[in-house]
Amino acid sequence: MKGMLIKDFRLLKNQGKTLFLMLLVVAVFMNLLTDVGPSFIVGYITIMFSMFTVSTISYDEFDNCYLFLMTLPVTRKKYVNEKYLYALLSIIFAWCVGLALGMILVVIPSSAGIGAAEWIETCLGYIFTAWIFVGILIPLRLKFESEKARYANLIVILGVIIAAFLAASAIEYVPEEIVGTGKQWFSGLGSRGLMVLFVGITIAVVIISYLCSQRIMAKKEL
Amino acid sequence: MLEINGLVKHYDDFTLNCTMKVGAGRITGLVGENGAGKSTTFKAALGLITYDAGNVTLMGKTPAELTETEKEKIGVTLAESGFSGYLKVKDVVPVLEAMYPAFDRTKFLNLCQKFGVPQDKYIKEFSTGMKAKLKVLAAVTHGADFLLMDEPTTGLDVMAREGILNLFREYMEEDENRSILISSHISSDLEGLCDDIYMIHDGEIVFHEDTDVLLNKYGLIKADEDQYRKLDKEYMLRVRRESFGYSCLTDQKQYYLENYPDIVVERGTLDEVITMIIGGEKL
Repeated sequence: MKGMLIKDFRLLKNQGKTLFLMLLVVAVFMNLLTDVGPSFIVGYITIMFSMFTVSTISYDEFDNCYLFLMTLPVTRKKYVNEKYLYALLSIIFAWCVGLALGMILVVIPSSAGIGAAEWIETCLGYIFTAWIFVGILIPLRLKFESEKARYANLIVILGVIIAAFLAASAIEYVPEEIVGTGKQWFSGLGSRGLMVLFVGITIAVVIISYLCSQRIMAKKEL
Repeated sequence: MLEINGLVKHYDDFTLNCTMKVGAGRITGLVGENGAGKSTTFKAALGLITYDAGNVTLMGKTPAELTETEKEKIGVTLAESGFSGYLKVKDVVPVLEAMYPAFDRTKFLNLCQKFGVPQDKYIKEFSTGMKAKLKVLAAVTHGADFLLMDEPTTGLDVMAREGILNLFREYMEEDENRSILISSHISSDLEGLCDDIYMIHDGEIVFHEDTDVLLNKYGLIKADEDQYRKLDKEYMLRVRRESFGYSCLTDQKQYYLENYPDIVVERGTLDEVITMIIGGEKL
């Protein structure tokens, strides 16, 4: 697995360098030209950069490299493990860079009364958001070839939007007492409680995603 | 090292039906036209594709059962696959070092220099020959016991091809228990290297023989109508109609040389055998 990680980090060095610099430049310009908050910059860099994990799968697919990779001392199971470990490392790295940039650009000069610790806690949510994105995209990318994966992504995004719309519409027909109880339950959770719930959802998504990826890879005809 | 028994793989327009064996200490060749099933055989042997029937034993286990440590003992080149084109040789070195404890970095880099494989250039910018050389060099420098080489000399010029074939000879000399399975559509590569040769055509193994036997005992008889009528047909494997009469493939060249001194009997070459096995008629 170490060899595969080195390969992906070398790919990142060769191909992802430009992407990363571009993300930083766009983040700086966003900060200068728009009124997006510092948190947005952290989220933007973390989520966008985490997508490079999915790109490494595309690089593996380019010129049938998959075939060759699977002849190396790498099992299909370890291949999937490596992608999730790589995702973890790159998300943490991007989040740290985003956080540092956010602090330099906004928090320190404005000293708007936001405590650094409090702000970091707010930004923690982006790590989990990035994981949810990666968790959905990795199995899709492993299942479908590059072009089909793009359509699959679109379908999933549309599916989420439609589901959200239907849920929002359906809530009107739910009896008031149930909605009220739900609202009360959510507000009772507080920010910490909501974060715990979010972490729980993320863990569930990642576990399901990992199991799906393992299954897809085990059956994949190379 | 490798045993393939009754392997069947169906595709929409192609079926592979293969039985073959590579013994310890041997170089076995697999020759066939493009699309004959060579690469499919390699993929099945390495567990890269599923198959519909039969079984494959690679170093005593099914390919799916091989652990990472066991896979370290295998060196592979595939015809249409290799390292990512977005890497450079200098990126590949640490990857190989991490994957293969026995990887010989110095030997690999020296061979890269010798064979003109640049270290600081993206692999996607390599010529076909450079890519082929890189794949072979990576396979022979990590102490593998068994090499599975699918078309390793494709795209190489004569000199580079000879260099690569010599590498295989040196690889075998280092340890007498090592083995190689090598495929090629260039039969002269295999003739000078292999201990035995399988021929695959339309997904079927149509011929298997020791190279020594093939070169020493096989022959091509050229006979006109009259000569052909008088010939003993018992040792003829294939016959083909020609403008001058008949070409006949035999595995008893000496018999015809001794008994029919006025008939031309040419030395059997792999090319001749392939042409006759595929294009000739069985008697």
